[in-house]
Order: sequence, then structure tokens, then C-alpha cells
Amino acid sequence: MSDLGRYMYAISRALDAEHLVATRGLAGAPLEVVQHRELAAVVSTVDLGEYGEVALRRNLERLEWLEETARCHEEVVRAVAACAPVAPLRLATICLDDEAVQARLKEWYHALNQVLDRVEGRLEWSVKAIAPGEGSGKSAEAAVAAQVVAGSGAAYLERKKRQSEDKAAAEERALMAGEGMHAALAAVSAASRRLPPQDPRLSGHQGSMILNGAYLVEGDKEDQFQDMCQALDAIHPDLLVDVRGPWPPYSFAMMEQ
Amino acid sequence: MMTEGPSPVPTSRPYSAPLGQSPRPQPATLADILERVLDKGIIIAGDIRVNLLDIELLTIKIRLLIVSVDKAQDMGIDWWRNDPMLTTSEQGLADENRQLRERVEALEAEKASDSGATKPTVGARS
Repeated sequence: MSDLGRYMYAISRALDAEHLVATRGLAGAPLEVVQHRELAAVVSTVDLGEYGEVALRRNLERLEWLEETARCHEEVVRAVAACAPVAPLRLATICLDDEAVQARLKEWYHALNQVLDRVEGRLEWSVKAIAPGEGSGKSAEAAVAAQVVAGSGAAYLERKKRQSEDKAAAEERALMAGEGMHAALAAVSAASRRLPPQDPRLSGHQGSMILNGAYLVEGDKEDQFQDMCQALDAIHPDLLVDVRGPWPPYSFAMMEQ
Repeated sequence: MMTEGPSPVPTSRPYSAPLGQSPRPQPATLADILERVLDKGIIIAGDIRVNLLDIELLTIKIRLLIVSVDKAQDMGIDWWRNDPMLTTSEQGLADENRQLRERVEALEAEKASDSGATKPTVGARS
């Protein structure tokens, strides 16, 4: 008996496995479909030497491994989303064999169908707004440092004080702008969620992320949603508005447990 | 102060998606992907029990890293802020990611004293 497992990427419905032949799973393995009634789990075989409990605990801590696995997982989910409704599974959901996969589909049959009903015909869009503040704050500090040589101590303190007040006011304005943008986008979405701001070391953004929103948008409302994004971009010339999508509905595929 | 930020979104920057174009999928950043595949989606317990809370260790490591970066900055070591390669281009993002990985590895190497992994000298690039 070899140490192999079945890695589950996503659950779908009435899925034709033919649509997935062009996409490969982890380590280049072919994708397969395990059915229970109309539900379909998209799986591939993985080596438990790499995806077993002990190995996973180690590998998940390696950013390089994590990135490769996450990107592959995401590509498979995307391929499924292109041809059928999809409920993405969280990374590293692994069963020992197909019977175990089927048992999960059977156990969660109703809840999974509910999720698929909720996301069918809808796609997720991500909208982030970034207040680019870092660079200017830094140069202002440098300017103060340069002036202190010539100016008096009191003037220096006064300038420092004014700077920190400006900063607080700017933060307050950014907070309000984030709230307003989210409300406007939520109004043209079927569902919406605000996610925590991303880590700049991972995302590469500069400044502060004042909005990181996920929006579930009806297929026929996409134009309306895009128009709203453009309008928000226009009325906030001081912000970088970053619109990405469409995504498979990750942020809205949750089961009530 | 956020008034100095450029108002039009420059299309060459990797972090900005030009609006109003064809809705082709934008290349997703690693942060975008991790945010979704780790935190979102359906949770079903498989046979392989992996506590994804373990992933928080990774996040904590990245946080530690940022703290140390901030400390370094306080000490005036801020070469990465002024390096145009690191701040504006796609190459910069790739470099930044690579350095992040190296630093995480370096942290791991420090912890796992039994491993003979060499510690990359991240701060030495010019």
C-alpha cells in the first residue's frame, strides 16, 4: 500500500470532467471528479510524503511551497468556475481515498447545495483602496530634520505637532472614505464583505490599505459594478483604487455549520 | 499626508488595475491568493488533520519580520524604501517577495539549530 491521498480542490455540480483535461493538479497530476448524486468533488492524487500531517505542518511554513500550492489550488478552482458553479475548498483538504471523499459529499449534501445555489451565476470582485502616504510623510520628516539645524527648538516642536495633527486628520478622512466606498459597492452587489487590510510585504502596496472589500456580483450586474468602481475612482483622486476580478466566490462560499 | 499621491492610476504599476477595460482576470498577487485559499472557502475536515491555525505561525513570522524592518528603519537602515527596483517595478515586487522568503528561511534556520541551512545575508545587496 502506497502513501497516497486525494487532494480536494472544490465542490461543483453537474460538472463535466472533460472541461478539466487542460488543467493540471498539484505536482502535475491529472484532475479527476468524484461524484455523489449531482455533486462533484474535483480531486487529484497527492503523495502523503508531501501532504501528510507531519509534512504539511512543515511545508505550510515554507512560503515558497505555500505559494506554489496556493497558486495551483487557485488555478484549478478557476478552471472549475469557468464551466460550472463552484464552492472552493480551503487549501489542504485531503482524504485517503474516493470513498472518504464521497462520504464528505454525502454528509454535507444539503449545505453544499445551498452554497452552490448562493454563488451560482455570481462572481467575486475585489476592490482595494490605498492611501499613498508613506513617501510624503517620510520626505516631510526629512524636511523637518533639515530645518532643525537652522530653526529654533520651539519652532521644531511646533512643526512636529502640526505634522502629527495633519496625520490624524488624514487617517480620519481615509477611514471615512473607506466606509463610503464599501457602502456604495455593497449597494450594487448581491453580498459583500470587508476583509482585513493586506500585509504590504506580501501585496507590495505602499501606503495604507483603507479598504479591502470582496463583492459578490450578479453576472448581469457586472457593468453596473464596474461603473461604480470608476465613479469611486473619479471622486477619490487621492486614492489608488485597485479592482481585481472576477474571482471564484471564495469569500462567499461558507457553510453554516 | 496623502495629498502627494498621484491621482491617475499609472498603468505600468503592478499594483494598479486600469479601470474600465475588458474584464479579463488581473494577475493575482500572492496576498490576494493566500487571503482566499487559506482564510476563505468551504471548510470540510479531511482525513489528513491539518490545523490551518498553524498557518498563523507563518503570519506571525511575517509580522516579526516587519517589526524588525521597522526597527531597522528607526536605526536609519532603510535602503529598501529608496531602492527604485524595490518600490515601483514588477521586478521590485519579485525581489521583495524573494527577500521576504529568504528572511523567513533565515528565521527558520535560526530556530532549527539542527539544520545546516545557510543563512542568507539579505541586507548585503547594493
